[in-house]
Amino acid sequence: MSIVIRNITKAFGKQIVLNNLSLEIKKGEFHVILGPSGEGKSTFLNIIAGLMKPDKGNIWIEGQLVNKLSPQKREVGFVFQDYALFPHLTVYENVAYGLRAKGLKEKVIRKKVFRYLELVGLMTYQNKYLIALSGGQKQRVALARALATEPKVLLLDEPLSHLDPHLQEQLMDELKDIQRKTAVTTLYVTHNQAEAIVLGDRISVLYQGHIEQVGEPAEVFYRPKTPFVAKFVGATNVLNVRLLEVNDERAKFRIVHPELKKVLEIIVLKYPIFNRKKTLSLCLHPEKIKLCQEPKEVNSFLGTVLKVENQGPILQVTVDIWGLRLKVVLPKVMFGALNKEIWVCFPPDALHPLCGRCYRLPIHLRECKQQKNKRRGLNEVTLSPTCSI
Amino acid sequence: MQPLIFDLLIGLTACVFFAFIVLVLLALAGTTSLHQLWHQIHSSVVLSCIWISLETSLVVACLTFLCGLPIAYLLALKDFKGKVVLDSLIDLPIVIPPLVTGLALLVILGGDGLIGRILNRWGIGIIFTKKGIIIAQLFVAAPFFIKTAKESISAIPQNLLAASATLGASPFYTFRYLILPLSKNGLLAGLVMSWSRALGEFGATAMVAGCIPRKTETMTIAIYMQAMGGDLVSATTIALILVAFSFFSLLIFKISFRRKDEYRY
Repeated sequence: MSIVIRNITKAFGKQIVLNNLSLEIKKGEFHVILGPSGEGKSTFLNIIAGLMKPDKGNIWIEGQLVNKLSPQKREVGFVFQDYALFPHLTVYENVAYGLRAKGLKEKVIRKKVFRYLELVGLMTYQNKYLIALSGGQKQRVALARALATEPKVLLLDEPLSHLDPHLQEQLMDELKDIQRKTAVTTLYVTHNQAEAIVLGDRISVLYQGHIEQVGEPAEVFYRPKTPFVAKFVGATNVLNVRLLEVNDERAKFRIVHPELKKVLEIIVLKYPIFNRKKTLSLCLHPEKIKLCQEPKEVNSFLGTVLKVENQGPILQVTVDIWGLRLKVVLPKVMFGALNKEIWVCFPPDALHPLCGRCYRLPIHLRECKQQKNKRRGLNEVTLSPTCSI
Repeated sequence: MQPLIFDLLIGLTACVFFAFIVLVLLALAGTTSLHQLWHQIHSSVVLSCIWISLETSLVVACLTFLCGLPIAYLLALKDFKGKVVLDSLIDLPIVIPPLVTGLALLVILGGDGLIGRILNRWGIGIIFTKKGIIIAQLFVAAPFFIKTAKESISAIPQNLLAASATLGASPFYTFRYLILPLSKNGLLAGLVMSWSRALGEFGATAMVAGCIPRKTETMTIAIYMQAMGGDLVSATTIALILVAFSFFSLLIFKISFRRKDEYRY
């Protein structure tokens, strides 16, 4: 492991920003911390960099406990949200700053600066001052400056947030490419889901001071484990349900909603958790819902279109089903008028349970029941996509 | 209020104030002729007080920079208990009357004073010497530099300092290659203000160093002595030279550093 974080706690006055947070990041991994603004993402990076002291907890970087090391000795590269470039220095001097501070010879410095300026495509800008650079170019200088010292870990604090969407997209590709070339362990914080999906080898969702879920982008986005993660990653339909009956393959639930004017029952594929919990939350991905003229065999409800939002390449439609509002994502095609009645249909595999637990330990330290059984030599079960919950 | 009326009020207030300054300076200049001015400049009394004033105020400027910069750094970047008290203490010489400062210095540096006794044992006399002038001017003028330097250092964004630390730069390296260049204009402005204040210092200097011609008589003391002695022409000449020094040094500073080297963070 390149970075091991154990039980980090940080409070500002009475407000606990990080609460017993633990995480492990593999060597060479591009790890994204995803979370809403004000949830302590930057504080987390500052603590790793040594710019802020935690109230509790330990941090190891490449096996070395760094709690008592100053930022200068942690060998961490930091790219700040607003670049934090030195305005009195040229591009070359900015990149050379850390190398000169370390007392390297000018010949070595020159070689390294050129290498990293070449990597970020700014060789021709080496003698320019920052005032002559665009936002994207400044971001590249900040990246080259952080990489030039060849840190053990690269920390990036929402580095693309000040850029326009087109430039963000371009720089995301470049960033991923540079990270692959340098193979530096990278910890990247953002509130932007698109950045997390594109960049992250793994994503940790930070909420209320702890990690709600850690996993690969597809896992976090398509199998969120808590209602918060589900809503944050866009799986906005979270249904509170009560189990009615369960057989070998499927389970029947009644939707529990305060404004529901009619009893609505849904069929869901069976998950092991249904044997233990009778009341739980189910996640229904908006893109898995279909709007049809005719009802299907299961999970079809007559609803009314309340709102149609044009979101660029897609449409987000809000449908009301007897007081229950569901969001549906459709490809951008001509869509019928508002207040139109339509059948809302989704297959049983469109829903999955949200376990309602928070991951306070790194994911690999947690074992699901099936894995435990397998370790004990009980081979009656096979691993299913649901094993993690 | 209508924008036009508001602008007029602002303009009018500024005009009245500037007119007042110019009027006072013109009145001063009107009391002497160019011929008299030229003649007075060559007198040994005037030359001596100009030299003493320049000599002591420049030493004060150097000492202010050397002693004031670490204090400004401390107040701008470090958090510690009693910082507000220390900050207020630094500003105190600005608000207390120079005569009171002079009296306090006289008490402590005099033959029976706490420090004066120790210095006397080593054969160092402060009272009625140039050293006394320097100490009095330093005490009064240094806060102007410290205050400006502190504000200038505080204005450097924290993340620049954080970036420097994560790049492996030691606190001294950061100070030398980041803080000093970025706060350069503020430091120089503070130094000019501090030097001007030292040049114009009267009350504390008179109390500590007295008015010994050709020994401790600075320009301000000479103005007072000449005016009290009835030689208004000499007093005005020295006053005009003092005004010219102050005005042109400020003008040169402002022209030299206007917009140049201003950084956008």
